[in-house]
Amino acid sequence: MLDYVRLEVRRTLRDRGFVIFGVGMPVVMYVLMTTIGVGAGGAAMEWKTASMVGMAAYGALGAAIGSGTGVAEDKQLGWLRQLRVTPLSPLRVVVGRGLSASVTVLPAIAAVLLVGALLNGVRMPAWQWAALAGLLWLGTAPFILLGLGNGYRLSAQSTGVVNTGCMVLLSIIGGLWFPIELFPSWLRAPASWTPGNRFAALGHSVTQGEAPGLGTVAVLAVWLALFGSYAVYAYRRAARTA
Amino acid sequence: MTATTGTTGAPPTTAGGTAVEFSGVTRSYGAVRAVDGLALTIAAGETVALLGRNGAGKSTTLSMLLGLLPPDEGTVALFGGTPEAAVRAGRVGAMLQDGKAVPRVTVRELVAFVAACYPHPMDVSETLELAGLGEFAGRRVDRLSGGQAQRVRFAVALAGNPELLVLDEPTAALDVEARRAFWRSMRAYARRGHTIVFSTHYLEEADEHADRIVVMDGGRVVADGSGAAIKRRAGGTVVSFDLAGAPTGPLPGLPGVSAVEVRGDRALLRTADSDATVVALAGLGLVRGLQVSPASLEDAFLTLTSAAAPLAPAAAGTPATKEHA
Repeated sequence: MLDYVRLEVRRTLRDRGFVIFGVGMPVVMYVLMTTIGVGAGGAAMEWKTASMVGMAAYGALGAAIGSGTGVAEDKQLGWLRQLRVTPLSPLRVVVGRGLSASVTVLPAIAAVLLVGALLNGVRMPAWQWAALAGLLWLGTAPFILLGLGNGYRLSAQSTGVVNTGCMVLLSIIGGLWFPIELFPSWLRAPASWTPGNRFAALGHSVTQGEAPGLGTVAVLAVWLALFGSYAVYAYRRAARTA
Repeated sequence: MTATTGTTGAPPTTAGGTAVEFSGVTRSYGAVRAVDGLALTIAAGETVALLGRNGAGKSTTLSMLLGLLPPDEGTVALFGGTPEAAVRAGRVGAMLQDGKAVPRVTVRELVAFVAACYPHPMDVSETLELAGLGEFAGRRVDRLSGGQAQRVRFAVALAGNPELLVLDEPTAALDVEARRAFWRSMRAYARRGHTIVFSTHYLEEADEHADRIVVMDGGRVVADGSGAAIKRRAGGTVVSFDLAGAPTGPLPGLPGVSAVEVRGDRALLRTADSDATVVALAGLGLVRGLQVSPASLEDAFLTLTSAAAPLAPAAAGTPATKEHA
């Protein structure tokens, strides 16, 4: 199965679209949002830190969901079918694909955090950096499953559109682009229950030197279970028809 | 081209025994019966061609053989177990018909990955050599020509050194030269004692490269035997002529005629008594471009597969009789 993970990671990293949009976009957005109209001082520094977490989360979320688009393409190419006539079991194929997706979210997280540290001068103790990267990495699990579910369930064309839609929607409503404190009051409560928001909350808690809240972990666990069931259901359906 | 014949890992023991067994297998897509009561046994070490037109049920049969598609009724067994078990155990390699190039991997990476999935794979360089891909090892799969990509799919099927190799229309996109090279490679693999099942709609391929031809039509086996046996079975003589707009209605009723096929403006009559048929045609004034020739394998194939109602495969030896739809 590790061979499969390695193969899929290689394939993703060779995808120029992935490198440009999956890694480049969050970095560019982070730089723009923290240089235009931002002064100096404590409030600016706070925004640079918060936005770094938001954009790293956005990049990770995009890479995680986007891996499902690759699955849909593989399905269309007959690659999933070809895998089914190798000794690799279907479970290993799905788990392997999930693992390879989880590896490919790392460049986006690393790139934004590096820009935060080197360009924007965000300073934290080493353990906070490590915890931030680690939690953002673990937190992508629900989104990977959502993307995989869409990939197994839908055609390549619709998966691309649906996954991009999911990503943008979850990012915006989750407050990854702009903090939800800026949202109208009626939207704030529902927004705080979305997976994107709780995902970023994992990161924000670290930058504030706190452990992630129990509620945040619980909400993410519910989303994980929900998207996980969806992915399993979608894979079973795909296996019947592929 | 293939200097080495030794393989890495344990040599598969395929001598004796049954590789593939279909019993009473039926599979429908909606109202269409793609495979209809199929019974077929393939011994280990055989090279078998599944021959039939598009829609004859070949791909559905191979999908069930590989465990990709469950039969509606009946059972499919590979090496005495389920197809899934045989696939899991690495005893099967397959070249699927609809497979396209996997993007962003090199030929060697792809073949090495597949080989690593199997318990006793062939050496990767040997696989590439056998599939005629030696010089393309470092190229990306999605940047190859159609024929080269097809060789990659063949290499993927071979990589695990499987006992049973399943090839669904393996030469469909190849030109003549590539086709010849492909069959050379396949025969080299067959000589190692492996079982090979391939589907094709090219008669010459089936005749030249298989020990045994299974002719399918309408989801059933309509003939089963060597190329020579099938020619004998369909037997007789073919009388052909230009219709020039004449109605085909009376043709099946002419003396000696057992089958009628119309190809464009030309009518082909299979007959057990060509003299009587020719005399009757002359009586109808249908003699333009008249030709009398012994049945070729192609004629035999057409006789076997143009029946509206499938023929009983047990009726070997007797000339096929049928109604022309």
